[in-house]
Amino acid sequence: MPKYNSLKDIQEAISKEATTCLEVVQYYLSQIKQQEHLNAYVAVYEEEALEKARQIDQKRRENPDQLGRLWGMVISHKDVICYKNHGVTAGSKILNGFTSLFSATALERVLAEDAIIIGRVNCDEFAMGSSNENSYYGPVRNAADVAKIPGGSSGGSAVSVQADTCLASLGTDTGGSVRQPAAFCGLVGFKPSYGRISRYGLLAYGSSFDQIGILSHSVSDVAILLEVMAGADEYDSTASQKPVPAYSQLLASAGKKRIAYFPIALEHSGLDPEIKSATQAFIQHLEAAGHEVLPVDFEYLDYIVPTYYVLTTAEASSNLSRYDGIRFGYRSENATDLISTYKKSRTEGFGNEVKRRIMLGTFVLSSGYYDAYYSKAQKARRLIQDRMAAIFQEFDFILMPTSPVAPWTIGEKLDDPVAVYLADIFTVQANLAGIPAISIPAGQHSYGLPIGVQLMAARFEEAALLAFAQGVAGGE
Amino acid sequence: MPYDKYETVIGLEIHVQLSTKSKAFCGDDTSFGGSPNTQVSTISLGHPGTLPRINKQQVAYAVRLGLALGSRINLRNTFDRKNYFYADLPKGYQITQDKAPICIGGTVPIRLDSGETKKIRIHHIHMEEDAGKLMHDSNAPVSLIDLNRAGVPLLEIVTEPDLRSAGEVDALMSGMRQLIRYLGISDGNMEQGSMRCDCNVSVRLRGASQLGQRCEIKNLNSMRYARRAIAYETRRQIDILETGGSISQQTLNFDPSSGTTSPLRDKEDAHDYRYFPEPDLPPLVLSESWIQHLQSEMPALPWDLFERFQTQYGLPAYDAELLTAEHTTALFFMDLCRHTQAYKAAANLIINKVLPFANENACTLDAFPIGLPALAEFIQLIEQGQVAAATAYQQLFPAMAEEPDKKPMHLAEALQLIQNSDADELEKWVSAVLEANPEEVSRYQKGKKGLLGFFMGEVMKQSKGKADPKLTTALLKRALDA
Repeated sequence: MPKYNSLKDIQEAISKEATTCLEVVQYYLSQIKQQEHLNAYVAVYEEEALEKARQIDQKRRENPDQLGRLWGMVISHKDVICYKNHGVTAGSKILNGFTSLFSATALERVLAEDAIIIGRVNCDEFAMGSSNENSYYGPVRNAADVAKIPGGSSGGSAVSVQADTCLASLGTDTGGSVRQPAAFCGLVGFKPSYGRISRYGLLAYGSSFDQIGILSHSVSDVAILLEVMAGADEYDSTASQKPVPAYSQLLASAGKKRIAYFPIALEHSGLDPEIKSATQAFIQHLEAAGHEVLPVDFEYLDYIVPTYYVLTTAEASSNLSRYDGIRFGYRSENATDLISTYKKSRTEGFGNEVKRRIMLGTFVLSSGYYDAYYSKAQKARRLIQDRMAAIFQEFDFILMPTSPVAPWTIGEKLDDPVAVYLADIFTVQANLAGIPAISIPAGQHSYGLPIGVQLMAARFEEAALLAFAQGVAGGE
Repeated sequence: MPYDKYETVIGLEIHVQLSTKSKAFCGDDTSFGGSPNTQVSTISLGHPGTLPRINKQQVAYAVRLGLALGSRINLRNTFDRKNYFYADLPKGYQITQDKAPICIGGTVPIRLDSGETKKIRIHHIHMEEDAGKLMHDSNAPVSLIDLNRAGVPLLEIVTEPDLRSAGEVDALMSGMRQLIRYLGISDGNMEQGSMRCDCNVSVRLRGASQLGQRCEIKNLNSMRYARRAIAYETRRQIDILETGGSISQQTLNFDPSSGTTSPLRDKEDAHDYRYFPEPDLPPLVLSESWIQHLQSEMPALPWDLFERFQTQYGLPAYDAELLTAEHTTALFFMDLCRHTQAYKAAANLIINKVLPFANENACTLDAFPIGLPALAEFIQLIEQGQVAAATAYQQLFPAMAEEPDKKPMHLAEALQLIQNSDADELEKWVSAVLEANPEEVSRYQKGKKGLLGFFMGEVMKQSKGKADPKLTTALLKRALDA
């Protein structure tokens, strides 16, 4: 069990003088050392975190009214989110040694509210993967069973929270990369609507899908972090201008809700029977609480994964062109001219999964194939968005398992990328539609690994989604 | 070779670097000539995590050009990525407009040597960003990259294949340069690369309606090169056709040292740019009211002023052309014409005196030392015969420039430049001159009429240049021919 379950716990403990911010950070630093074998961290900001903790303790004594809203919050950030004068490598050799000259807008905002950043965490290379095995720094291990994957791509984020080395983590979610590892590690994992949080300072994978997300033990921590990070940003034209509700003040769930589920998903041949029964149990739990849970047809389920992979790899193939060995990052020692600088640096600098996706994305954008793949996938995405919007005309939320499968053994699926892609079937839907989604714990497998279920809401209905999740995330 | 059987068909892609203060998608300074890599930021360097944001000034400039050319302004603009690897392209793609360019259609009038006007159709104008520059050191095995220019906003103006000669290309480029300077959207400086063009050249038998296969000649950064490249390419294509060959579509490079074109790449292994919608920039929707606002701020266009200077001010085409070449000159002329009715004299003064003076003293017309009322008075002094034109140009004008606060009349008086038109005094000088030169008088009277100039000169000497030439001539003639 974690020492602190929420920011509220930490702030109360410090306020009661039961501990100090410094002691909280010291505790987490000791946990980081103890849990080193999980390989969650790629960098630990020990001195800085201790110094910031001392400052906050001092501020609390001397100018408590100047404390930011996130005082006492200790977080890790995924190795794709820029932090000024700190390394950022996207888990890739191609950026090994690269230091960012600016901070991501989201990170700036949490720092401005006195959050403490304790370290940078491992992930799949350029956020491409569902197992955190595709990292230059090696795989991350699930703290519930070190032989198992923690999920990905924000695997380091998930394990850093799961193993109690920090209170929450900033991950990123392009196709489930926050929610799936949250489910695999027994956490809350939240992806906001596309455009809710600025992407400035987030190393792009699929630009029209990427969102910064939050992994934590509690929905209330998701709410307060979202409240701080969300909102317009002059540096990101795709960030929404919509005002940001005070999510943390709106967590009281009001009334009975209508929730849709897709029988085609629950009957899917790839769905693990224990996850199926956990989801069914969750449905009964909702019904028992007086909510209406109804089956809805969703005819596009089999198109979701192909659509997602065509579009994200297309965008990725372009987004990753800047890693060329010319201006920054890894440059091959064996390069002799411009072309060989490109070829050798990228061949040696990128891992297999990244190369696979760059090639796939390059292919689907190529002249002669564009219409058959990219254009068609854009149309499919539009259909999926429209269908989802129609469902949200009648329902407040959609319920689904987060992952169709349980965490697998490290190394087990390395030779079967398609099987791994198909495991994204329930999470990529929210990214295709640009809607908010949250994975919450929903029991365990018979062999002890966590199971998560996922709730989705209409675009920018974060407040309602979080309030409902808070209400039904039993046990909290 | 029967070259005359063929006509050359040319379409242009003109790149205009906009004179916005900052770059197309970030805040970097865009001024020319900074030390290499000093006008860069994490955004223009394509650092991980950076995103583009649109410079609204660039859009306003594009709309201004479109309005001037009568293009349809596209209200919903989207951006696309053009993907390719090159050392001067930091992100590995260029942000451009492939599917929904900002301006569609329109025409630009060009003046041919014959004096006629021809309208060249515009296909479209789109916004994009420039790449950096590579510098190759022939003595070292390295190339250097300067990314100051990377991300500078460009407009690409694509014409229909309406041009038929290098002369027409020249006329279009000059006209376009003049226009963008009028609009204040670019300095149009070809030497500094603010304006460059690619030429699509094909040939066909005169009278044929089908276009021939075209070749694109890249990066012609001066009109001289464009002229030579077109001439060479035309002959090359005709030679191929006349010897039974066919033209293959190619991208060509012009080598100024040899004066020849050579393939940059064949269409077969052409770049596949993998255009796709730029996911980092949502569609940019322009409002009708903003377009109207820009329309209301449009300056008069050079070709309109060229017409007006001839019709309203009665100037010859030659003067109208010189006075409309630069917007500031045209404005200066129109301002001066608010102070004088002597339009032709005003045109002469600007062309012959004001512009050369401004040029020599490196001052702009906005800051011209002599005020418009003084210039108008200067014109009046000449028109009314108070100061001889030549004297005024040679002596009075420099004096006015020296002492701009003094009235020209006073300066002329001080310099004793006022012409004497007092007939009595003139009579005395005339008689004195005729008496002093009896031999010349008798030669004149025997038919050597050319001596009139001699007598005139003598009278001028006597009068120290103040004698009114018209009146003096009349008096001399009367005395001699009596």
